Amino acid sequence: MSACGAVVGGVSLENVDLTSQSVIQGVVSQNNALASVGYVRLLDKSDEFVAEVPLSKQGEFRFFAAPGDWTVVTLTPGTTSRTPVTATLGKIVDLEIVVS
Amino acid sequence: MSNNSLVDATWALAHLDDGKVVFIEVDEDTQAYAENHIKNAIALNWKSDLQDPVRRDFVNKEQFSALLSAKGVSNDDTVILYGGNNNWFAAYAYWYFKLYGHGDVRLLDGGRKKWELDGRELVSEVPSRTVTNYVAKDQDLSIRAFRDDVLNAIGTKNLVDVRSPDEYSGRLLAPAHLPQEAARVGGHIPTAANIPWSKAANEDGSFKSIADLKALYEGSGVDLSKDTIAYCRIGERSAHSWFVLHELLGVKNVSNYDGSWTEYGSLVGVPVAVGDEPGEA
Repeated sequence: MSACGAVVGGVSLENVDLTSQSVIQGVVSQNNALASVGYVRLLDKSDEFVAEVPLSKQGEFRFFAAPGDWTVVTLTPGTTSRTPVTATLGKIVDLEIVVS
Repeated sequence: MSNNSLVDATWALAHLDDGKVVFIEVDEDTQAYAENHIKNAIALNWKSDLQDPVRRDFVNKEQFSALLSAKGVSNDDTVILYGGNNNWFAAYAYWYFKLYGHGDVRLLDGGRKKWELDGRELVSEVPSRTVTNYVAKDQDLSIRAFRDDVLNAIGTKNLVDVRSPDEYSGRLLAPAHLPQEAARVGGHIPTAANIPWSKAANEDGSFKSIADLKALYEGSGVDLSKDTIAYCRIGERSAHSWFVLHELLGVKNVSNYDGSWTEYGSLVGVPVAVGDEPGEA
């Protein structure tokens, strides 16, 4: 049994068959530096919460979604931002999110 | 919000050095605690400390007693639980402490996330606590549901699936921060209502107001005068919803099915519903 908990920055892609995954990943920066304290949430097309990961020290996050439209919400101290994204089976979507 | 089961940061700050108050961070991954944590907090690992190393079950009463004794927790201590993932695992541990009859246990509202987002202090020093002689009680099985309880509840009691709508429908097999690979089927237990845990929490991980929580459940069409069983994937998100119902809203006939979808979705011959509707008994 694996747990449901989110690891910092998201689960590694090592040993993951990407052909069966719809990956959304990215990097968050704030004030011209990588945001190392914060959280990223994935919302579905009805704005319902689906998942959340803490940012890595390098501001990274990763989700394994399903094909379709999603919204990535970043929470850093004092800021919130929303980024719409479309995921595709077998593809990795890379985001660069800047919050201020 | 605060009540006898929940404390806020102000309360926590006033009790960080109180010898009879034990702060415990509960995470799946001990990396977060090892890096930093609330001052004087100790750690429990959701899996290695609280799960039997061989069978899929909890550690037994004697093992739990030994664990808390070694951690320096006494039966009359006030235990404050907090953790990451919007307090999922802290809520699970809260339910677990209640299962074994700990007297005074509370959650820190918002857990580690709110504490971090509010810019509050975290430290790396690990406190040392004197070994105690903790004695756990027998499990209170009124708050724990098993596979047969769930099967017998289809069409007769409330079943509340607290996973995301995409997991409930079968479109996702796991939360989207995990790879979508699993041998079990997707879907939900027939007749289960989908009331995601996240509807009970604010973005910062704190609980919504009592009025909002009442409105959430009253508006869901679930008759809370009937017995209710909550479940998710492994029982930690449903522990969060159990906390809302049992501890914050005072609905006492609620139990948590910790086998959850990882057990039910792998059973041979049981009914499964897919799609967005609850399905028929």
